[in-house]
Amino acid sequence: MKLLSLSWSHRSTASTAREALAAVPVERVLSELRGRGFKEAVAVSTCNRFELYAAGGESDAPDAAGLLDALAELAGAPVEAEVEARDGLDASRHLFAVASGLDSIVVGESEILGQLKTAYDVAKKAGMTGKRLNVLFQRALYVGKKARTETGIAVGSSSVPSVAVQLAESIFGALQGKSALILGAGAMAELAAKHLVARGVGKLAVANRTWERGYALAARFSGEAVRWESFPDALSQADVVIASTGAPKAVLTRAVVEEASRRRGGRSLFLIDIAMPRDVEESVHKLDGVFLYRLEDLESIVAKNLASRAGAMAAARAIVEEKAGEFEAWARSLTSGKELSFRHSQRPAR
Amino acid sequence: MTAQSVLIWGAFSLYTAATFAAFGYLFTKDHRASRAMLTLLGIGLLLHAAAFAAHVAAFWAYPENRFFLPLTSFFGALSYMSLALAAAFFVVEGRNRLGILGAFVLPFAAGALGLAVIFANPESAPLAEPLRSYWLNFHPMLLMTAYAAFANAAGVSIALLIQERQIKSRKPNELCYRLPPLDELDALNGKIIAWAYPVLLIGLAMGFVWSYIDWGTFWTNDPKIKVALVTAAIYGWFVEQRYVAGRRGRRAVYVSLLGFASVLFTFFGAEVLSGRHSYMVGPR
Repeated sequence: MKLLSLSWSHRSTASTAREALAAVPVERVLSELRGRGFKEAVAVSTCNRFELYAAGGESDAPDAAGLLDALAELAGAPVEAEVEARDGLDASRHLFAVASGLDSIVVGESEILGQLKTAYDVAKKAGMTGKRLNVLFQRALYVGKKARTETGIAVGSSSVPSVAVQLAESIFGALQGKSALILGAGAMAELAAKHLVARGVGKLAVANRTWERGYALAARFSGEAVRWESFPDALSQADVVIASTGAPKAVLTRAVVEEASRRRGGRSLFLIDIAMPRDVEESVHKLDGVFLYRLEDLESIVAKNLASRAGAMAAARAIVEEKAGEFEAWARSLTSGKELSFRHSQRPAR
Repeated sequence: MTAQSVLIWGAFSLYTAATFAAFGYLFTKDHRASRAMLTLLGIGLLLHAAAFAAHVAAFWAYPENRFFLPLTSFFGALSYMSLALAAAFFVVEGRNRLGILGAFVLPFAAGALGLAVIFANPESAPLAEPLRSYWLNFHPMLLMTAYAAFANAAGVSIALLIQERQIKSRKPNELCYRLPPLDELDALNGKIIAWAYPVLLIGLAMGFVWSYIDWGTFWTNDPKIKVALVTAAIYGWFVEQRYVAGRRGRRAVYVSLLGFASVLFTFFGAEVLSGRHSYMVGPR
């Protein structure tokens, strides 16, 4: 069999071709290719990459020039200069690496796996996949899962908000039914509110010195605005507090937090201070049941997670290499008349 | 080897293997290890229950022992407590996706049964005359059930302290994300103790009643009774702190661990000091 892949990814410095291709719906790409006589093709289009995989037998082998020609016409711009073209083993190895998140900006991120699945489903629905690409993409999804579960490339959260949410879940369990208090109404406060609401926080309150701004932010997330003077009351009700005011000195003093903690009957309180200068007195972290994380604490956890993911890349690459070799052997076996079976190694990954 | 000793050694081996699987689960988060733990523990429980039944049968071979529970020997007491603990873990944590706590709870079950099979004498003997009373089926049985629950809570407390340390450190590692959430551990610890505490009190009260009925006095100057009252006072302090004063977190956990230390001393330490409550009455 003949396998070809064409990639425009975040790895190349120029991005005009990638941007032009990203604007073309994949369904259109597939129908155009079908019109030009290509039998098997899958187009993967995400914010960081545009990739095209095409396959055929000896008689109907896809040609790179023909594919590039079709894409250039669709994009309305030349695309050839920035392309990375691969064939055979290189192409399958590349797809398996992409599926494993090894080619992503954030190593091991799992979104790409879903995007590959969608791309494959779209192509399958359009009737543009046959035995070759069916097996290739099913193997890619399997390898992506295997690499993530058997190596550390996907361990730990890779962004500050997700680390904060993960810590909150380590304290409270599921965040549904928990309440959050946001001090301040700036851009960072808004971002924090967005993440908390996305994770299903039950109740959101906003306290801001300027009532109108706090009210507006609360309204955007169906939360409750709290008068600045009464935030200590709100504090005794909240589980997660995000402080991002522009106050020149700490607004959450030890005395305020101690009193709130007493009124909460010792229930845990998770404080996240993303303000500079600080909003929360450092000594509150010493209180029983009170956990204070500052922005740099969250950032250093992210850095540590990313470093440990990078450390696991070699192991993930080994899996990719092994599985690409297996796929290559299968591809060769198609023409020898004795088709190999994957069944042995196709047990679902854990 | 008798059938009983084959069964009890089998149960002990399976509990030990389940403990190793629990540690494997804690350090790798491989779900196969978790499943292996529950399977090994489940089979271990069946063998242990059969072994206990065999022990009861051997005990009842002496007509004067019928129908009292064989809890007066070290072997019987340890075997009963580890059975109660393993069964409680299987039901409470195993079915509540808290299997990860096996690494903290199962060592107590395997340890207690290990003491029984290695150091205690499994032979049965006729009960001493004053012990031939149906109070025997309640007073020690309830206390030992409470002790098993307290051991379970102690395991949860240790996990809770580790989790609290993790989050306080600001540099949590993998362990933090594997252990159950702090609040869940806190709730579980509180619930187990709140359940076991009345059992402990009723068990103690029955001891006093038994004493009054048989000896005409509620109070005997026995060190084990005093130590047991100290244990009850410590757990009472925990219940008061946790549910009345509403204090949670580290300090409450320290109180519950102090309580368990007192349980251990009540069970093992007071043995040296006590007359009426020593396990000398049965074969050692």
